[in-house]
Amino acid sequence: MKRHSLSRRLISSVLLVELVFAVAVIALAAAYERHAHMHSFDIMLQGRADALLGSVQDAEDPADNVMLDRTGLELPSEDVYEVRDSNGRLLGRSANWQGPDPRDVASTGNRVYLTKVDGHRYRVLALHGLRVVDPGDKGGGTPRHILVVYGARTSHMWHEVRNAIVFFSLSNLVLLIVTGVLMTWLLHRGLAPMRELAAEAENISIYRWKFQPPESAVETRELAPLASALSAAMQRLEASFAQQRRFVSDAAHELKTAVAVVKSSLQLLGMRQRTTEEYEAGVEVSLMDCERIEEIVARMLTLARAEHRNTGENAAGIADIADSAISIAQQFQSMAEVRSATLTLAVREHAFVPLSSEECSLLCSNLLLNALQHSPPQSEVRVVVQPEVDWVGLRIEDQGDGIEPALLPHVFERFSRGDPSRSRNTGGTGLGLAICKAIVDRAGGTIVLQSEPGQGTTAVVRLPRASEPAATVPAEASLQATPSA
Amino acid sequence: MRVLVVEDEVRLADNLAAALREGPGFAVDCAEDGELGGELARQGCYDLIVLDLMLPRVDGLTMLRQLRARDNATPVLILTAKDGAASTIELLNAGADDYLSKPFDLGELIARAKALIRRGKGASHPLLTVADIEVNTLEQTVRRAGRLIDLSPTEYRILEYMVHRPRVIVSKRELLEHLYDYNWEHHSNVIEAHISNLRKKLGADTDQQAVETLRGRGYRLVAEPATLTPGSVG
Repeated sequence: MKRHSLSRRLISSVLLVELVFAVAVIALAAAYERHAHMHSFDIMLQGRADALLGSVQDAEDPADNVMLDRTGLELPSEDVYEVRDSNGRLLGRSANWQGPDPRDVASTGNRVYLTKVDGHRYRVLALHGLRVVDPGDKGGGTPRHILVVYGARTSHMWHEVRNAIVFFSLSNLVLLIVTGVLMTWLLHRGLAPMRELAAEAENISIYRWKFQPPESAVETRELAPLASALSAAMQRLEASFAQQRRFVSDAAHELKTAVAVVKSSLQLLGMRQRTTEEYEAGVEVSLMDCERIEEIVARMLTLARAEHRNTGENAAGIADIADSAISIAQQFQSMAEVRSATLTLAVREHAFVPLSSEECSLLCSNLLLNALQHSPPQSEVRVVVQPEVDWVGLRIEDQGDGIEPALLPHVFERFSRGDPSRSRNTGGTGLGLAICKAIVDRAGGTIVLQSEPGQGTTAVVRLPRASEPAATVPAEASLQATPSA
Repeated sequence: MRVLVVEDEVRLADNLAAALREGPGFAVDCAEDGELGGELARQGCYDLIVLDLMLPRVDGLTMLRQLRARDNATPVLILTAKDGAASTIELLNAGADDYLSKPFDLGELIARAKALIRRGKGASHPLLTVADIEVNTLEQTVRRAGRLIDLSPTEYRILEYMVHRPRVIVSKRELLEHLYDYNWEHHSNVIEAHISNLRKKLGADTDQQAVETLRGRGYRLVAEPATLTPGSVG
């Protein structure tokens, strides 16, 4: 992949803008120089033509003619001129010229035009002047119309204009180079905090999560948000990795122990000759142990899924937890009968929560299973679904032995061994409540166990209430299925 | 020999206990959590503790540290499901004598258990010899002066325990504590009968008594044939 350099881009942009301005400045300057030089050139032409006009004198002859008196006139030798009177008589002409093209000077009025003399470019002024000759004592005299045509080489003027352009171009080039060098240096200095931040970020690995944004980056207004975002992201990642590591370690312990049970059972069978009955019993026990491994694996995967979705967007869907509670209670009815416990449902209306229906069922069945497993005979397990304005409450109450207060904070931990009698001995995997917590957390709700030893335990779940999805079965229809127990 | 198994997975604890009883014929007690395990271990009547690490109430490592802090020198074999050098070093430094990773081999566990008990009693070889009595703890056979002696399991266990403690007076209570599990009191009146049988079998063709009875104090395995005074105590 081609990499772009931010500083190179910045420098190029600035230089490009500067170049455009430089070209414009040079063009403007050139236009102005040309105009100014042309103007002074024309004034010079005018002056020299006027001087020639002034040199036209009375010829003192009977025909009252005029003549050109060139004494005292100092004109550059390369200039060309021609002076004629109104009759077209040539009064004088520079030696290096054959005279203007008659068409160029035919019209009356002054005009400036360009021509070529001996291969050189000339700017020529045709001046129709009035010269009063022979003035008497009382003034007056005879006015004579004189045509002065005066030209000078333009090469000098153009040379100067070109010099000016070259000067401007060179100055701008120097300015561009200085800007480029200065910007490179300043940007290099200015971007140092960014490089320091990158260097610090480079040190992060899955073994080293520490990210201490450098002072320079924190103090830079543009980099501070990036630095703090990186810090926060690292902390979240580290926490998530630590959680994953702990999960893997716990899972390894749990699975290895479960495998150790199977292995030791089988090895025990092989330690000496046994009767067929003993072998049969051993195989049956090993099979049960294998089923336990299966259950642990299935539950770990469920938990991993529930926790994984925890980090994703809130897209699980919307389900009726009242509906789930009813169907799960029906499923557990026979288990309750076996334990001669009573299962009571207090579910009056729909209660939609932002969970998928599978998650709702999982939540209800895990909590209900826990409650039933710890219910003594002739006791009651109550399931209450209570929608409020913004929340939906789910309570599952049992009248079992309860949990010791010291163990309560740990009941939601994965593979919690809070109370062996609450997990292992009842065949639990220590994952049921962890799964419940992951599901409830994902939905933005809370779950707590309230328990007093000997008084029973109540699981209290609060879930945010979701709006009813458009297509749903009418409340009466599904709630008629409520067991009357 | 009496072993304490501290393991919260009941099925595993049962299997371990069964294997240790059936194989080397140890007496086995089980504890499901570190608290109970610690209490039992402190009584000091165990020759080996098999300890799981992840336990309810008090974890295995803490229990081990508490035990060692009380100068309890019972050999401890750790069962761990976590691998990694750091954890192993920590375990051994905390006073563990050996460790096994789950899932382990029962045969290996039994062999390690025997080795740890042997070491705990100050012996290095599985063949134990006191005077002319030779006890092979691997085959669980006993010879005296080269002649194979047929002993019942209990008689063998008594002799094995005493061979580990030559020249020391072993009380009846100590024998009971180390050879039977927690309901040892039910067996208290059979020890004398077993000792008597043992003495008969060991001394079948020699007039030298192998086991002395010190009235009111206990029994002693006679170490030096030369120091024996025939018929000294009856």
